[in-house]
Amino acid sequence: MSIRRYFSGVFTLLEFELRKVRHDSSQIWIRSVQPALWLLVFGEVFTQTKTFNTGPYTYLQFMTPGILAQSVMFVAIFYGITIVWERDLGILNKLLASPVPRSAIVIGKTLSAGLRGIFQAIVVIILALILQVKISLNPLHILGVLIIIVLLGMCFAGLSLTLASLLKTRERMMGIGQAITMPLFFASNAIYPISIMPTWLKAIATVNPLSYIVDALRALLVTGDFSKFPVDILAIAIATVVLVTVASLSFRRIVS
Amino acid sequence: MANKAVVVQDLIKTYPRVMAVDGISFTIDEGEIFGLLGPNGAGKTTTMRVLLTLIRPTSGKISVFGVDALAYSDKVRQMAGYVPQDVSVDGELTGYENILMSCKLYGVPSKERSQRIKEALGYLELQDRAGSMVNTYSGGMMRRLEIAQALVNRPKILFLDEPSIGLDPIAKRNIWEHVENLRSDFGTTIILTTHDMNEADALCDRLGIMSKGKLITIGEPSRLKASLGGDVVTVTTKNSECSARLKELGYSVTSDSSGEHCGVIVSDGEKLIPHLLENLRKNNVEVETVSLEKSSLDDVFLKYTGARIAEGDSWLEASRVRRTFRRLTK
Repeated sequence: MSIRRYFSGVFTLLEFELRKVRHDSSQIWIRSVQPALWLLVFGEVFTQTKTFNTGPYTYLQFMTPGILAQSVMFVAIFYGITIVWERDLGILNKLLASPVPRSAIVIGKTLSAGLRGIFQAIVVIILALILQVKISLNPLHILGVLIIIVLLGMCFAGLSLTLASLLKTRERMMGIGQAITMPLFFASNAIYPISIMPTWLKAIATVNPLSYIVDALRALLVTGDFSKFPVDILAIAIATVVLVTVASLSFRRIVS
Repeated sequence: MANKAVVVQDLIKTYPRVMAVDGISFTIDEGEIFGLLGPNGAGKTTTMRVLLTLIRPTSGKISVFGVDALAYSDKVRQMAGYVPQDVSVDGELTGYENILMSCKLYGVPSKERSQRIKEALGYLELQDRAGSMVNTYSGGMMRRLEIAQALVNRPKILFLDEPSIGLDPIAKRNIWEHVENLRSDFGTTIILTTHDMNEADALCDRLGIMSKGKLITIGEPSRLKASLGGDVVTVTTKNSECSARLKELGYSVTSDSSGEHCGVIVSDGEKLIPHLLENLRKNNVEVETVSLEKSSLDDVFLKYTGARIAEGDSWLEASRVRRTFRRLTK
């Protein structure tokens, strides 16, 4: 198996994910309702109450990167349901019988989640612009955001794929998805700063990849403060590599 | 001797609680349509998945066209085409896109792609609907699309897991025709699993009958049926000496024959009836009715396994597949 064939397998999966989005983009619009509500209702209310000290930035500015990350994380965590659906049909079996190696399939599938994440991110950014949230539109910053979004998608889709390999039914995936998304979201700096958390929650937030992702997105979109950026990127990269590797190792169990 | 497409030796696959495949050996010739027949849980699908290198066997040897399947799984995958039992087309893509995806996954050179897709679509008579989303297809069309997908790789060996399950009788026959054409047009070796006796009889050159992980017998459908002793011709007469006369004439008579109501075991019922009637008339036995009961693969299965393939089983499976067809369809 040459490297060229390996990556052609990865990009084939990505290409057909894109074609699916093109055939039916309704999912993206439906999924934009939740971030819209967060920004419109939660954001507006907490801007009024001035509960959190967000420094020189408005609360909406502070939370926009958090909501962006959250909505992409939702897409990625529930991506495992698509995989279980493909498993229930024979699609996954047939894919696994093709000459494309398992790890290439896992990378292709997690990248596909990242791709869907990009569409989601664009919708949230447009929403923020409509709400007149001041965010950086510097093309380099936006490029950075998109790269982090792809890593974010891969990272949590890796987690989701691992869970799918173990749980194997859509009902369980729905349950586990709902059980982990909220804790991951609240135990992060998405909608309030880590500094106000009790010590035990701080500890969780420090090992939560989402915190580093939000931090990096916040630097790119709002603060322009890149002092912690290298640490963020390193943490995101490690989380992505670890979770995608675990997904590749557990993936052989999915069809048995 | 024909070239061997598949050689399986002492294949065993155990799971923590079950022995899925229990030491089976068989060979398949190049260009043969070989069927694995048996009820659910007999180990047919496991055997097929092991051959496809989807599952590693516990022990045993497999070679596919001379290639050691356990050591060089990627070479085997490149030669094989696979249509799983469960629906494996993507409803969110068009028929054309589904085939294009197979082309890319199997590394069909980009120059040849459009030609091969066109051929596959034409061959399975799907060209008119190639641009439609697959979730608007019927079950039979989905199955044909799956076969078309498998063809773009020009497989030397095609694995069909329950190819016609869940299809209506017309679509079923249509799939059978296509499978037969594949072999005659391209010389493709085909291995299929089924629990449909008619399918096994209509399609397969040779059959392996599986039950509880074991390969119980193997042979041509006609031979397997002949091994039962043959067909039964039942005659009724007003002459109470019929049974005795038949024995005198050298026929083997079934044990439940009474004086006027006799069963005769013969190897080729249709051909024998005229001779039988003539012989009886010569001997002054006047025949009132004649009926012929052909032996079926179901009887063969009964003889070798002591059980019939449960109708309920296949009905359940079929309805599951039909449900999937519906779920895929918008």
